[in-house]
Amino acid sequence: MPQDMPPAGGYHQVQYKRNIPVRGFRPIVYVAGMVGCVAYGLYKQYYAAREQYEIGREKMWARLHILPLLQAEEDRDQVRRYYADKAREQSLLGAEIKVYNSDRFVRPTFAYTPAKVTE
Amino acid sequence: MARRESRFSQQVLIDTTPMPDHIPKVEEIGATSAPLLSAAYFIGDRCRAYNDDFMKCKAESNGRGELECLKEGRKVTRCAASVIKDINTHCLKQFTAHYECLENNNHRLWDCRKSEMSLNACVFEKLGLKKTIPDAPKDQTPVHLRPTQIYSRYPGKQWHAKPDGTPILDD
Repeated sequence: MPQDMPPAGGYHQVQYKRNIPVRGFRPIVYVAGMVGCVAYGLYKQYYAAREQYEIGREKMWARLHILPLLQAEEDRDQVRRYYADKAREQSLLGAEIKVYNSDRFVRPTFAYTPAKVTE
Repeated sequence: MARRESRFSQQVLIDTTPMPDHIPKVEEIGATSAPLLSAAYFIGDRCRAYNDDFMKCKAESNGRGELECLKEGRKVTRCAASVIKDINTHCLKQFTAHYECLENNNHRLWDCRKSEMSLNACVFEKLGLKKTIPDAPKDQTPVHLRPTQIYSRYPGKQWHAKPDGTPILDD
């Protein structure tokens, strides 16, 4: 009995590849597009960041130029309240009481409020 | 959460006692934030010496600056008030336009370049005060002189320039 042999000329090729038409561009095109987008974004971001530094500098110096003015106004108000407190202590207690053992100006963190607000 | 009654201390903490007589009086600046921001660089230009003097005094007075630097503080306030007064006298229209623009744009200077250019031009012409940003890079146009502002709400040119570079300001 003859043995089972392949047909003459061999078997047909097994089709394992899918036979679908390739859609879209080549992958390298997408990669290039992505690189292009990122490069454009970084280019814009570079200049935007540099402008933002300058805007920040401008804003900071505008504040620095008026800061002594605001500080002086606030200091005067604090000094006015400080002398008012001292005068009030003098009239109510008859003596000046030092709360802190220091000569430094301490902005008061507490205040006695009148029990009855008249005005 | 709130176990205790809320107390609005700003109603009772008002102390109307005036300044004692041995301290000279000075009128406070009385300007709000937008006019001060608008005039900040002109104040800085004219009053730099007084400002530095005051801050130096504060730094050197060892925690007693509030009491000891009142004199320098009065000079600072008088100088700034003189700048505001001069701008109000000579450039009121441009000044008003600029600080109202700042008010309407959340104090973003880069949204108000056009009115700023005309204010700067007027102040430089009438008072000789110039806006310069210290420490800005030398190789770039200063940010307040650039016609296009990247962060502006209105992209594109904020103002147009003549061929020689001077801005065309219709005011």
